[in-house]
Amino acid sequence: MLHKRLLIVTGKGGVGKSALVAALALRAALDGKRVLAMAMTEDSGLAVHLGMERLTYRPRPIRSGLDAMVIERPAALNEYLEVQIGIPKIAQLGPAARAFDALASTAPGIREVITIGKVLYEARKGTWDLIVADGPPTGQIVSHLKAPTTVAHLVGAGRVLDQTGWMIRLLRDQAATGLVVVTMPEELPVTETLESLDTISSDSLISIEPIVINRTLDPLEGALNRLRKGPAKQAALLHRALYEEQQRWISQLPPGPHIPYLFGLHTPPEVSARIADLWRPS
Amino acid sequence: MTATTILVTGGGGVGKTTLSAGLALAAARSGNRTLVLTVDPAKRLATALGLEGLGSEPTPLVEGLSGAMLDAAHSWNEIAKRYAPPDVGSRLTSNPFFEAATQHFPASQSFAAAEEMTIHIDSGIWDVIVVDTPPSGGGIEFFTSPARMRSLIGGRLLKWLTGGSLPGRRLFYQFTARPALRIADAALGSELLEAVADFLIDLRAAYDGIARRSREIERHLAASRRVVVTTADPAPISEATKFFELENGTPDLVLFNRVLPDDWYGAVTDAPAPFAENLSRWGMESRRQAEARHGFSSRWHVDPATIPWQPHAPNDPESLLEMIDSADGLDLGVLLG
Repeated sequence: MLHKRLLIVTGKGGVGKSALVAALALRAALDGKRVLAMAMTEDSGLAVHLGMERLTYRPRPIRSGLDAMVIERPAALNEYLEVQIGIPKIAQLGPAARAFDALASTAPGIREVITIGKVLYEARKGTWDLIVADGPPTGQIVSHLKAPTTVAHLVGAGRVLDQTGWMIRLLRDQAATGLVVVTMPEELPVTETLESLDTISSDSLISIEPIVINRTLDPLEGALNRLRKGPAKQAALLHRALYEEQQRWISQLPPGPHIPYLFGLHTPPEVSARIADLWRPS
Repeated sequence: MTATTILVTGGGGVGKTTLSAGLALAAARSGNRTLVLTVDPAKRLATALGLEGLGSEPTPLVEGLSGAMLDAAHSWNEIAKRYAPPDVGSRLTSNPFFEAATQHFPASQSFAAAEEMTIHIDSGIWDVIVVDTPPSGGGIEFFTSPARMRSLIGGRLLKWLTGGSLPGRRLFYQFTARPALRIADAALGSELLEAVADFLIDLRAAYDGIARRSREIERHLAASRRVVVTTADPAPISEATKFFELENGTPDLVLFNRVLPDDWYGAVTDAPAPFAENLSRWGMESRRQAEARHGFSSRWHVDPATIPWQPHAPNDPESLLEMIDSADGLDLGVLLG
């Protein structure tokens, strides 16, 4: 999937979305690409997973080949108005831009268009070989992917409408853009993943990459009944029970790459570095 | 009498819904008329508690325990009807943008959930109400939502845009707002703009009612018991930290979920190779958990309760209660008394 120009990553809260974004971005940078990691929401965990205190709207270098940024609301709105809608900076000063924000946020889709529009705009510019975006959670991804279409239907005229065409085309461009869904082999994440996949594929909004299944356990071979009572047996029983439960949910998902349960890691950057390392080309 | 309210908070995926159900069952077992308010239960848990098909009205589940779902879209309809002037309320809810706009308000889901909770507290029929808080904004939004709702609807921006004193529609195009409206007009087209403007004007008219209500909600939130659920993983811990940084009160109880036994670390075994290796991996995990827990405890001066990692997810009232009973350091009296 690292051959694409833009990967948007989504998943239910708590499944390891930001860790995966950081890992994909690191991997591509280590492979020699110029990469931009983008947080699409201000509460994203991307900064911590990159070992940063915080990210800014302006991309900042994290390491060789990798920059990162966060889509902050006022800055994104200003850029959208200026670059895409063509309203000069001077008109945005003071409350005018905020007023536009209030008006635009009330109408469905416009807020999302500004966010997804920024991601697509960066992809279109061609400054980066790859953009990995830490997207909204599965519950909100569909409304983001649909936003340009929603807005095109809603807004009968005006410059916002003019900007939706290329966005829809770039989202649907299979060679350039892909959606990465990450999940965990548990009931709620799997159910939510399958529901959102249904909607996304039936509306063919974007090409869907293989589902990434996070925190999977390896099978534990060997006969348990010969084990004496004690920690080894307890640990084996827990492992087997969790493994079986995981297999039940994995069987409901289409095949996709697994990220193994990582034992004994302390910090978010350790986690993303380890995942990036697991994907080292052999 | 006033219900004791227990707010179960924490990051996504830590087991809030399951623990809320367990705590509610335990409260009911001690003879309290108990209500559990939940957001999005897993199907298995829903089946276990008979929650399937649950609506926003409390429904009896087991002896002493009822349940209801928190449904934000439904609540906003009610909020508009209850707290806006009558004619404005019905105009608001029939506006084509009503649903989209209320879903988009910052902290909208949380505010609606807190409103539902407050109605149940005021009903006076419950001894204990356990609230499984919505995960949006890491759950922290639940506490900040009343203030954010006031500043949104009563904010200078909306006032300025719609004219200071709730005028008729024409004042919307007042002079100072014109540059902004010209931008919006060019960008969005004027038909859309008018519909949106109507909506915002009506929303402003609902401010007084919503502001008064939001203060009542805040009082209830301040008086409630707070439980923070976390696992020892880095992301949930950093979410849990935020609940200690709130201005209007700190957690009464921290619950570490999915805890491994301390004695796994360094345990030696003569078990065959795969089991010995497996134990050493889980042992490492157990030590990492203990370190994370101690780090958290000493930073916030708390004595967390721990819930052992359940090999099988609880799937009926008995196993939910067993899970609560297996907790170490969990004093229900502190929460209920």
